[in-house]
Amino acid sequence: MIYGAKRILRYLLGTDIAGRTLAVYPDDTFIVSYPRSGNTWTRFLVANLLHPEEPATFANIERLVPDSEAQSSRYLRRVSRPRVIKSHQHFDPRYRRVIYVVRDPRDVALSYYDFERKYRHIDDAYPLQDYVSDFVCGRLSSAGWGTWGENVGSWLSTRRGRKDFLLLRYEDMLANPALEVAKIAAFFGIDAERVRGAVERSSVQRMRGLEKVQGKDWVSTKNKRSDIPFVGAAASGHWKSKLPADSIQEIESAWGPLLAALGYELATAQPECGELLQMFSSSVQRALSRKRI
Amino acid sequence: MLKRIIAGTKLAFGLQRPGRNLVVLPDDVFIVSYPKSGNTWTRFLIGNLIHPRSPADFSNINLIIPDPEGLSKRQLARMPRPRYIKSHQYFDPRYPKVIYVVRDPRDVALSQYHFHRKRKLLADGASVEQFISRFVAGKTSPYASWGENVASWVATRSGRPGFLLLRYEDMIEDTIRELAKVADFLGLDASKEQLAHAVARSSAHEMKRLEQKQALLWSSTKETRQDVPFVRAAKPGGWKSELSESSVREIESAWAGLMKSLNYALRFDRADTAGKDRDAVLSRVLR
Repeated sequence: MIYGAKRILRYLLGTDIAGRTLAVYPDDTFIVSYPRSGNTWTRFLVANLLHPEEPATFANIERLVPDSEAQSSRYLRRVSRPRVIKSHQHFDPRYRRVIYVVRDPRDVALSYYDFERKYRHIDDAYPLQDYVSDFVCGRLSSAGWGTWGENVGSWLSTRRGRKDFLLLRYEDMLANPALEVAKIAAFFGIDAERVRGAVERSSVQRMRGLEKVQGKDWVSTKNKRSDIPFVGAAASGHWKSKLPADSIQEIESAWGPLLAALGYELATAQPECGELLQMFSSSVQRALSRKRI
Repeated sequence: MLKRIIAGTKLAFGLQRPGRNLVVLPDDVFIVSYPKSGNTWTRFLIGNLIHPRSPADFSNINLIIPDPEGLSKRQLARMPRPRYIKSHQYFDPRYPKVIYVVRDPRDVALSQYHFHRKRKLLADGASVEQFISRFVAGKTSPYASWGENVASWVATRSGRPGFLLLRYEDMIEDTIRELAKVADFLGLDASKEQLAHAVARSSAHEMKRLEQKQALLWSSTKETRQDVPFVRAAKPGGWKSELSESSVREIESAWAGLMKSLNYALRFDRADTAGKDRDAVLSRVLR
């Protein structure tokens, strides 16, 4: 009852977290990804592309590219338009323009495990292998966003190949940031000259340095454990050495075809999907390799 | 602000119709489809299967298989469990068990055109072609476009436990066979006679008869035109004679792959894309 009253009061005052009930405007652009897939990095990149005069930090990112899962509906109504908004939501038809960042779920699981410890949702003794089972089944604090496969599948199946949908792989962004960020610039109609500066101002070194100073005040990190950093490894493939074999098997058997379609090589043998998979795969590859928007 | 106060008061007493904000319980079963795809018929079939002694009709269907768009949050919270719930929502990860009914979008579009006339959203004689263009763009429904709604469920859930995909056309062809799948999915032990009984009680003829008597009792029909029926053709393929060639082309080019993967033969299948269609594969690939 108290909880209900608090919720209603928040709603009346507009201090409820926007989340899925966010009022969407037709000129909004969304940066969407499953959690721990490079969303914050992409926010920095976009903010630095759009606002070269004001380098993005954890102190201004909520104004430059606000987080619909951390900010109130009142706050988001007052952000100047056109807005660029961060989201972890599964498919929402109201989102017209979407940059979707996808990351290898084996690395996502590892990163999410650290994140859940940082947020004190699980303690350090919680076995990684149990955590991966939670991750695969969607038994997580993030269950509202769907499992990794549901989140990715819901967006790819509905929007892939459309002009207002830009699909990026986190691994490609790491390997060749200039090329991938140029796609983002083109998506916003921004001069490619700004790409280099945006990449530099969004480097992992700079973000780590900023987190050290500003982490205690940023909405997503304040009052969380400070011994586990928010800016994680910023690398790909750590799962190969850090995930138990059973966990790799579990992830791959849950989403094998989707992984393969996204170009993530499988470490375990999964049932062959044959021609269908190859066709889907090549279409995702086309979406990924698209240069012109 | 006033709007927020009214909505807030409703919230305080649980009087709002929750729709997508429904509180989902772990033993809920959802009957999901895009609008005008046989959802009401499926509700009748399941209602008549579960409660053989109290025939489903338009006055009690919202109590047997509630509609979160038609009942308040409070009413929904008081339903006996497990609840069987009707929904038109695109993918919602919280739905634990889903029966998804899919129908040929060319017929769905036509049916929705007539439904919008019934709801006075369209005037008689409004251009079907213009309606189809808006339908394809997803502008005629709050539940996303047909393709988005179908793909969002099929790509995330098909082939997994807790998901049953039914085609409306298959249900028409052999209703008992398809209802047996539902009984199996729900873990109900239904004999052939019980299935046949539920099917007979949910026939288009019976539903039309009930609608004539009860249309004013049901949330989905009471404030609509009474001269346009809710239960309409109840058969597949009406699009072949009623949709123009350009409308058919428009629908087929928007969702060619998805339609083919659901076994809806295209009238204008372009040979050059037939073999390497992008979306064709989605449903089965993502299992």
